[in-house]
Amino acid sequence: MDSIKLHLNDRELEARSGQTILQVALEHGIHIPHLCYDPRLTPTGSCRLCLVEIDGQPGLHTACTRLAEKGMRVRTDGELIRSSRKLILELLVSEHNLRCTTCDKDGDCLLQDYAYEYQISENRFPSVALPAEGRNYATGSKAIVYDPSKCIRCQRCVKICAEVQGVEALTLKGRSGEVQVSTGFDIELKESTCELCGQCVGACPTGALYERAACGLGKAKDIVKTTTTCPYCGVGCQLVLNVSKATGRLVRVTSEPGSIPNDGNTCLKGRFGMEFIGRPDRLQKPLIKTDGSFREASWEEALDLAAGRLLELKSRYGPDSLAGLSSAKATNEDNYIMQKFMRAVCGTNNVDHCARLCHASTVAGLAKAFGSGAMTNSIEELRRAPLIFVIGSNTTECHPVIGILIRQAVASGGTRLIVADPRRISLAGIADIHLRHRPGTDVALLNGMMNVILEEGLADMDFVERRTEDFQSFRAAVEECPPEAAARITGVPAEEIRRAARAFATAPSASIVYSMGITQHTTGTDNVLSLANLALLTGNIGKECSGVNPLRGQNNVQGACDVGALPNVYSGYQPVDDPAVREKFQKAWKVSLSDKPGLTVVEILNQAAEGQIRGLYIMGENPMLSDPDQNHVRQALEALEFLVVQDAFLSETAELADVVLPASTFAEKEGTFTNTERRVQRVRKALQAPGEAREDWRILCELAGRMGYPLSYRDAGEVAEEIASLTPSYGGITYDRLDHGGLQWPCPTKDHPGTKVLHQESFARGKGRFHAVRFLPPQELPDGSYPFVLTTGRLLEHWHTGTMTRRCEVLDDLVPHGTLELNPRDAEALGVKTGERVAVSSRRGRIEIPAELTEKVPRGTVFLAFHFREHPANALTIAALDPIAKIPEFKACAVSVSRIS
Amino acid sequence: MKRYRSVAEFRRRQQQLESAIDPNKKVITICGGTACTAYVSPEVLRAFQAEVKKRGLENEVPIKTVGCPGFCSMGPIVVLWPSHVFYPKVQAEDAGRIIDKALLGDEVIEELLYVDPATRRRIVHDYEVPFYAQQTRRVLQLNGIVDPLDLDDYIAHRGYLAMAKALSEMKPEAVIEEVREAGLRGRGGAGFPTGVKWRFCRNAPGREKYLICNADEGDPGAFMDRSVLEGTPHAVIEGMIIAAYAIGASSGIIYVRAEYPLAVRNSKIALQQAREAGLLGNDLLGTGFDFDIEVREGAGAFVCGEETALIASLEGKRGMPTPRPPFPAQKGYRGKPTNINNVETLASVPLIIQKGKDWYRSIGTEGSKGTKIFALAGKVNNTGLVEVPMGTSIRKIVFDIGGGIPKNRRFKAAQIGGPSGGCVPARYLDLPLDYEAVKEIGAIMGSGGLIVMDENTCMVDIARYFLDFVQKESCGKCVPCRVGTRHMLDILSRICAGEGREGDIERLEELGQMVKSLSLCGLGQTAPNPVLSTIRHFREEYEEHIREKRCRASVCEALVEAPCAHACPAGVNVPEYLALITEDRLDDAVRLIRLRNPFVSVCGRVCDAPCERRCRRSDVDEPLAIRALKRYAADYSKQPSRPLAPAARGKREVAVVGSGPAGLSCAYFLALLGRPSTVYEALPIPGGMLAVGIPEYRLPKRILQADIDFILSHGVELRTASPVADLKSLMRNGYRAVFLATGAHQSEALGIEGQELKGVSDALQYLRARALGQEVPGGRSVAVIGGGNVAVDAARSALRLGAERVSIIYRRSREEMPAYEEEVEAALEEGIELHELAAPKRILGENGKVTGIELIRMRLGDADEQGRRRPVPVKGSEYILQCDQILPAIGQKATVEPASGILERNSRGGIKVDPLTGACSAAGIYAGGDCVSGGATVVEAIGAGQKAALAIDRMLGGSGLLPANVGASLWRPSEEQLERSLPRARESMAEAGRRRLCFEEVLGGLAPGSACQESGRCLRCDLERAASLKSGRGS
Repeated sequence: MDSIKLHLNDRELEARSGQTILQVALEHGIHIPHLCYDPRLTPTGSCRLCLVEIDGQPGLHTACTRLAEKGMRVRTDGELIRSSRKLILELLVSEHNLRCTTCDKDGDCLLQDYAYEYQISENRFPSVALPAEGRNYATGSKAIVYDPSKCIRCQRCVKICAEVQGVEALTLKGRSGEVQVSTGFDIELKESTCELCGQCVGACPTGALYERAACGLGKAKDIVKTTTTCPYCGVGCQLVLNVSKATGRLVRVTSEPGSIPNDGNTCLKGRFGMEFIGRPDRLQKPLIKTDGSFREASWEEALDLAAGRLLELKSRYGPDSLAGLSSAKATNEDNYIMQKFMRAVCGTNNVDHCARLCHASTVAGLAKAFGSGAMTNSIEELRRAPLIFVIGSNTTECHPVIGILIRQAVASGGTRLIVADPRRISLAGIADIHLRHRPGTDVALLNGMMNVILEEGLADMDFVERRTEDFQSFRAAVEECPPEAAARITGVPAEEIRRAARAFATAPSASIVYSMGITQHTTGTDNVLSLANLALLTGNIGKECSGVNPLRGQNNVQGACDVGALPNVYSGYQPVDDPAVREKFQKAWKVSLSDKPGLTVVEILNQAAEGQIRGLYIMGENPMLSDPDQNHVRQALEALEFLVVQDAFLSETAELADVVLPASTFAEKEGTFTNTERRVQRVRKALQAPGEAREDWRILCELAGRMGYPLSYRDAGEVAEEIASLTPSYGGITYDRLDHGGLQWPCPTKDHPGTKVLHQESFARGKGRFHAVRFLPPQELPDGSYPFVLTTGRLLEHWHTGTMTRRCEVLDDLVPHGTLELNPRDAEALGVKTGERVAVSSRRGRIEIPAELTEKVPRGTVFLAFHFREHPANALTIAALDPIAKIPEFKACAVSVSRIS
Repeated sequence: MKRYRSVAEFRRRQQQLESAIDPNKKVITICGGTACTAYVSPEVLRAFQAEVKKRGLENEVPIKTVGCPGFCSMGPIVVLWPSHVFYPKVQAEDAGRIIDKALLGDEVIEELLYVDPATRRRIVHDYEVPFYAQQTRRVLQLNGIVDPLDLDDYIAHRGYLAMAKALSEMKPEAVIEEVREAGLRGRGGAGFPTGVKWRFCRNAPGREKYLICNADEGDPGAFMDRSVLEGTPHAVIEGMIIAAYAIGASSGIIYVRAEYPLAVRNSKIALQQAREAGLLGNDLLGTGFDFDIEVREGAGAFVCGEETALIASLEGKRGMPTPRPPFPAQKGYRGKPTNINNVETLASVPLIIQKGKDWYRSIGTEGSKGTKIFALAGKVNNTGLVEVPMGTSIRKIVFDIGGGIPKNRRFKAAQIGGPSGGCVPARYLDLPLDYEAVKEIGAIMGSGGLIVMDENTCMVDIARYFLDFVQKESCGKCVPCRVGTRHMLDILSRICAGEGREGDIERLEELGQMVKSLSLCGLGQTAPNPVLSTIRHFREEYEEHIREKRCRASVCEALVEAPCAHACPAGVNVPEYLALITEDRLDDAVRLIRLRNPFVSVCGRVCDAPCERRCRRSDVDEPLAIRALKRYAADYSKQPSRPLAPAARGKREVAVVGSGPAGLSCAYFLALLGRPSTVYEALPIPGGMLAVGIPEYRLPKRILQADIDFILSHGVELRTASPVADLKSLMRNGYRAVFLATGAHQSEALGIEGQELKGVSDALQYLRARALGQEVPGGRSVAVIGGGNVAVDAARSALRLGAERVSIIYRRSREEMPAYEEEVEAALEEGIELHELAAPKRILGENGKVTGIELIRMRLGDADEQGRRRPVPVKGSEYILQCDQILPAIGQKATVEPASGILERNSRGGIKVDPLTGACSAAGIYAGGDCVSGGATVVEAIGAGQKAALAIDRMLGGSGLLPANVGASLWRPSEEQLERSLPRARESMAEAGRRRLCFEEVLGGLAPGSACQESGRCLRCDLERAASLKSGRGS
């Protein structure tokens, strides 16, 4: 971008063209008061406070709306400016309910700050503040309160809802003094298009919009703020936990504009989904089960018991009779200690975690194609990508903050969007092309597209020649699948496939974004390889705004994999069967290690059911709800001789345990998470854990000592240092370097800035490798008895197995139960109306659930979210596994649907 | 419909259509504009159609519905062609005879013709109607002539020729240049040069551009855009095509408010016709230019007339403005370069292209060319659309075209430019209206709304009214407009409610300036205009509201119970004494009057009766004859001299200098408050000007004496022939307060050659000599110079003293004469000649004696401060009037000698006083009456005396409160009485031939029967107001 020079108050400053005067001033530390300006929004120019004088231009100008121009001479202070600002503030104050005494935002309110700065003490104008009483759009909301008497009508809430969130739920209503924020047609917030992201609350410069639950819990000036990383999805939003000094309780969650990667934006879970931390049903003491019921026990007793039983099983049945499930919700440090505990203390590589259930195929597939299984590019690039191809990702619901980034990119007009998804997801509504293929036919769709690209000479052959290998065998496979053939399999018209192929291949650069719609199939690895093929074929890898970008599901699924909570690799994907690697870890850990790769999640449960695995240690996972074929999981867990569960809540899985150990949540500990773009970010302690709950890694250390392997670290930072010392890609990552936006691995050395785009010069494995991939149908196809394809996924409002979100009143109130999404025409054939309960059955189980008639799902397909224990989707899903990645096929199985009369 | 494929083909067809117009064909046109449609015009149309059909004339006599011809107060208008016979306010039942007699029989139906309100003359042809005759119709030329829904009719009247010319013969740049050089400026209000605006948009990068026609006419009262769109939608479309061609736009939008259903319908039909004819769409007339237009309806927010808010509204967003830059020309509708012009602007474009820039710029002012349409409304006889050249004066629009102000009330101001325009006072009546001039005086051209206000309009209330509108329409986006206007409105409402505070005017000014300079869009930047302009031009009215709680127009409800009483400087409770008269309680009536005015009999005769000018009854028919009723009560009272209170006793602490109405009133009210005083009179008789100024035939001596005796009976000491040389000596005599009421007894000098000649004597001296019984020089042929009451009194006295010929010479015209109209009337009846528009140049004489006077004729020039037109001599028009006596009466001067060197003077040369108390610059000294005003009315002098008496009482430790004067009568007219329309009663008057011979009283007063009936005409609006105030509306 061009740089220009201008004068502010006689200081010559450099500015980028396109910057406003206000932005230049703020960047250079020149104070200009402003209320309606938010760096994330287009300028509004409504508060008229950022007045400046510009040489040669009469009158005063708003700095937020005027672009900096070359040679401009601007004054940001002066008598006229001050008196005008003062008058504006007097007017604002006259329209404001000045009861700062009872305002939650007292101490964090721009109006208050400026009123002080300009000494608006004498109220020259009588107050015209609206009475606070009376219903408004948010009166019925459990999440948000709106007090028009504190509203300065700056429109930041309205604009963030429209411009950033893309939802346009809010607007202004009325005219002149009666102007208020409301929803369109002034309907209840809950009835509007509001997604309850709470961005409006975050953007409010005064106390007009506030979290209802936070009212009265503590004023802004009495709050300690701790910046940490969100515990929900893999975006890794930076959140600020606001904790009352007086009570030590969490008051509210905020986020700062400018923070990476979310720029102050959050979704509803980030903002309203933290209530679980302080719930009374948090585990506060260890529990021991005797005669089928739990009793509270001391740590000593519980740890002794667990250590004793594990040692006993190990010595009686061998180390491989033990297994551990680590957790993508826990920190890198927790996961590292967990895998070290399993490997060094228990002596087995049987350690895995739920990555297996979401992105194992990504790790496997991308490792094969590129040599490294992670998002190749960065989130921020999506904002600028000329084309985004979203396949198998309901981004706006599952990775909401990335979802809004895509929405913004499309809304800006600079980005074209292709969506491939059987469901008419929200992004499909703004896409240039929506490919609505049948569940499980991704390979055919992608091969069809690549066939067109080859056929029409749109491939980047220069890239193919320079950077790839095995092109010919790939080509042969793709040539077998012309678009017409792909159309027959996928149900997408051939012409649409052509259109998408051309758009993708001709874009200056194109980003592929995918998620579990790709990975959770028996052909998951194939699907991933096909996407890798597409990127290689069009040269869309190793440069900005391109790449293959898996959106990782859990907050730290990337990190859990990175630090070795996988059965076949140590941290940094160093294979356990590589002797040199094993030697390195034996030396470091001073113990002999197994060279036999361990079992994966589903294999562990299968073998438990078969009696091969006898002792299982679960840290923070809930396979009862998260794993396929729930009945089978129950059998497996019940067959165990000894089950230890370490969790913050008594989960469905913990209920089956012999010993339950209370763990602290993310808000109560130090550590790091690694987000989906490989960014290692800090987790910071903001709260005291309740009762005797402890950090996961400390519990494991205690246990290790009792099992004869003393493990001891000063703090989490010391664990991180050990990770860095043994993990090349984390080699340069230490806590002190993470304070400003984290670091993206690979970051091998202390002076390495981190890596934004992978595979720029060469691939991790040298050359990018094409794979010949041919379409295979899903394991279980619909038939006469089970005529529907069931596909499963998440909802925006809930998280995973609901352990956290269903303990948050705002979220559970919003979506108190699940529904079966059913196409209206199918419903008509079944005689089912919206809201009616239906029975959904598969060969493995049966649930009852209300039906929701929606065109979102095509005919013949039904959709369930898997968050609800009342009607668990995974009672129905199939435990069929991808042969390479061992990921289960959550996204397609056959079910029947019937009315419950 | 025919589709034109080339320019040549179109031109051929156009010529055919044009030449097919038969100038002798009989056609009937009926107004089909919104106002007439809403009234009866569809009914009238059906009646005409039925009558024509009945006579089997459907094919011979077409009946055309045409767009609004603009003279809305006369609608529906029917014009017969080719004769141009004009029938206003036509009703359905008139259809038959208009067809039979007027159309077929070529007769004129007299009783249906238009009557000029000024001349009462019946006018036959439309082009003779003054409303039309004085206009220059360009944009409106086809309104009232073509059928808006007939494309061929428009083409036949040379429609779309300009478009054909532009597209086939001109490059876009040439079109822009032509329009720029023609001097066309945006008629939406801001007056930005249209050509320059087009060029910005043309030069803006980008291929996709938009042209928007702004038909979101939001100003209440303005409807020119609606009329143009309704009446000649094709002219707007043609203008849009040319504009689009010039800037390179391929899409156009007409943004019209949904409240204009007829404009929406007509423009949609016209667009469809144009599309079908190949005048819109692709490849227009085979020129390769593509352009189409859609109609989009706005939801009626005032702010959506603002460009950026309009764009937001078009984009489906809430209509709110965005800051500029970027300007729409850079980034407008859908982020593309966009040009927005108003309807009137676009409708002007075809004329410029067709007739050329030189034709267009041939009229107008230096900076503003062409014509402007004004929507004339308010207190004016002819309301409607008026198209005049830029630079036309308000006077011409209001008086020549608008026919002046109903009931001959005085013009006070005109609000120009809609609710956010400004109030322009009378002194700018002759200002040539153009963009610069209007801005200069604190208004804006706006869309051309022109609302006329008469003397019964309160300027504070009007500012509040307009601000209330704009405030309610503020979109609420930016702080100054949303909150600033709210506080301004609150302050104004407070002032109107009588709760104004010192500093309010300054606060309004500060807020107004801030709102103007800091608001985001034009709405806020102009919203304070009505307030700032009324403060600028009518500051004293604000001050009266705030300090005196007085609304001189008697409008502000909280201040005014009855307008008549409020208008009375003495505060007489008019409605109640009228009610007492109706109840035949004349003694009570007189007593009630005397609670505020001791000069009942005097004021029953010579008061200028400001009460009557505010009388609500005049909105129904005519005001009550209040003065005559007062005289009736006084004349017929059984106990006319009964004092109100026992005579005041004690030490005389107050001296009153002068025994005119001010001085005696002051003494009287002091006495009512229990304070005896001494009145010093320099002349041998008391009464001041009442005694020595007003001749007996108007105010008989005995009548005056009776009122004075009544006053003295309250314990007032009168010392006649006791001039007060200086105030200090008076104060040394132990008076604690002095009220100066020395009057205005000096005359202004004529200052011309010959004024020293024998036979020239000052009119005031002349009248005084007569009153004091001194010898009065008699003349046979007398010329009185001046136009005030003194002049008329002198003239009529001269006549009565035996002059054979008496002339009044006045430099302005009769309408401008300050003398009471009825006095002038009576004087003329008595045979006095009036030389209006003539001024003395020199006095001629022989042997030291007057023989004549040389006069020069005058014409009326521009308005002075009061809005009266200044006389300007007409060169070479001198003429001589023979006469032997000359009585100059050209003005009086306040008599201030006793105060010389002690008291400050005011700008009129009188004594400076606090308007609330009459207090002078030195402690203990008060003044009032003519010595302060330099010559005002009797009742004003009484009011001043009263005010000073109260203030003096307070200063001396009293309450300063007069006895209450309410509750004497609750009589109110019955419904039946209210409905009955009775003419205003007239006093009997002596016959002119008899009365010119003597000094007997001319007016005979009201007879008992007619007086009672007259007082029964009172609406008792005071009771309405009192009730509404009591019910809390005024709180």
